[in-house]
Amino acid sequence: MSYVTIENINKSFNDQQVLHNLNLAFEEGEFVTLLGPSGCGKSTLLRILAGLTTPEAGIIKIDGKDVTNVKPKDRKVGMVFQSYALFPNMTVEENIAFGLKMQKMNKEVIAKKVSRMIELVELKGKEKAYPRELSGGQQQRVALARSLVTEPKVLLLDEPLSALDAQIRKNLQKLLRSLQQELNMTTVLVTHDQEEAMAVSDRIYILNAGHIAQEGKPHDIYTRPANEFVARFIGNYNVLTKKQISLLIKDESQFTHDLYAVRPEAFGSEFIMDGYKISGKVQNIMPLGNITRYEIVSGGVAVTVEHLHKSYEKLQENELKTLYINKEDVIPLT
Amino acid sequence: MKRPLYHYFMIGAVVLYLFVPILATLIYSFATQWHKTILPEGLTLGWYRDLFGDVRFLEALGRSLLLSFSATALGLVVMVPTIFSIVLYAPKLEKFIQMLIVMTYAMPGVIIAVGLIRAYSGSRIPMILVTVGAYFVGILPYMYQGTRNSLRNIHAESLMEAAEMLGASRFTAFSKVIIPNILSGIIVSSLLSFSILFGEFVLVNLLAGGHFETIQTYLYQKLNTSGHIASAIVVCYFLLICVLSTIIVRVTRSKKGGGGR
Repeated sequence: MSYVTIENINKSFNDQQVLHNLNLAFEEGEFVTLLGPSGCGKSTLLRILAGLTTPEAGIIKIDGKDVTNVKPKDRKVGMVFQSYALFPNMTVEENIAFGLKMQKMNKEVIAKKVSRMIELVELKGKEKAYPRELSGGQQQRVALARSLVTEPKVLLLDEPLSALDAQIRKNLQKLLRSLQQELNMTTVLVTHDQEEAMAVSDRIYILNAGHIAQEGKPHDIYTRPANEFVARFIGNYNVLTKKQISLLIKDESQFTHDLYAVRPEAFGSEFIMDGYKISGKVQNIMPLGNITRYEIVSGGVAVTVEHLHKSYEKLQENELKTLYINKEDVIPLT
Repeated sequence: MKRPLYHYFMIGAVVLYLFVPILATLIYSFATQWHKTILPEGLTLGWYRDLFGDVRFLEALGRSLLLSFSATALGLVVMVPTIFSIVLYAPKLEKFIQMLIVMTYAMPGVIIAVGLIRAYSGSRIPMILVTVGAYFVGILPYMYQGTRNSLRNIHAESLMEAAEMLGASRFTAFSKVIIPNILSGIIVSSLLSFSILFGEFVLVNLLAGGHFETIQTYLYQKLNTSGHIASAIVVCYFLLICVLSTIIVRVTRSKKGGGGR
């Protein structure tokens, strides 16, 4: 049996159902991400897991125990908020010690645990600082330490990095992942950033309008999107109708599904045996640093193509180009 | 940048306009005689000696302090937790509080006093307690605004959630996390409430009247007997309000500047 199970959860706000009969299961030590656009219900699901929101129906079990009606303070679940929610009247040390004090632990043990945690989140020297004296990234590390130090059974992260700028976000993703591995902490992250989800997770649930759109390992989700929503949400997939793909690849007999997805980087200029061939005009060239993105137009259909930037290969607008693609990279959608 | 001369002139004129009456009162309270001359004929501390030698004054001062203090303390103990609960957990009730607040402004003091006398004069409740009750309602606007704004500023809801997730009960979270963070806000509201109640005359005079002489009723009587002593009372009162205002400004400033920095 799984470490955390969420069974048949339903939730409505003002007669609008935001979660539809959801079933999820997480293993011990697993890093799971709930990924979806804003308003898909991912944060509500996380709050239900924390006990801060009550579901209308359904059961939540953590470590084999039904906690559906257990108060948040007794669930042994840690949570990190997007807004950090650090206590402004307490120093870094006092913030981190708060949870341990609530457990009435003895002072020396608290001091030891707190100082170890401060080291882990790389905040040495900031023990006596107040939250307002720290940068956003540092504040979020304090919030993380404050949750981790209580050794919760599950750590919940509600868009913890989305208020931070790109560089700090990348660094904190790495820290988050390495801490999670080191402590073997069962972790649930909520985010709308698919790159972040890919970078840190063991497994991803993609949510759309209160339903699970797809579930799987980052690699599988990226290479095998199950439906149109996932294909459009993950990366910059080309989503083509049967008619469009038949016009693009002059081989109608192959295509029986209504929709197909093709990753922009799946196209290549080298000949592929038993693959498809596309010839068309190059348009809308966009140099994006390490990759170059352009459109290839064939039979009136435009598809986005991406490849790594090569300085010796100069692309010209309206140049005729032939590209090849593997048959399995043209993914039928349901 | 050099300011044009008329700026200074305007500011000077306003300051003069505001301070001349206060200055005159101050000088009058020290004057021996001041009838036919531009400046007083002599200076004395005698009026203050008389004032502080008067047991009635000291008692009135004590009563005023006690009355304002107990109404404010009652307001603090009852209203802060109530407003906290409503703002966080029952926001739909907020409009009722706002209605109450409008009503405290809409009712003129005389009408409130007459209504209270009619309602309570036959009962066994002493009128002074009725006054405390009326004061309690009267300071609701200041307590509500102060408390609610402080709660908003610190994002009380997420702080409560964070504390609960760390194993604190709602009561512990409120007392350990919320109270310390809204303390400066509620101190300011309390001082404001206190100084407003301290200067209140209509209600206490009509409700308790001669049975309970406060500083305001004492002042009113002294106006008819000695202008010098009345001036001395006003100066003392003004000093007290100055001290309170200074504390309010200090507390507000340290809050904005970030306290323990």
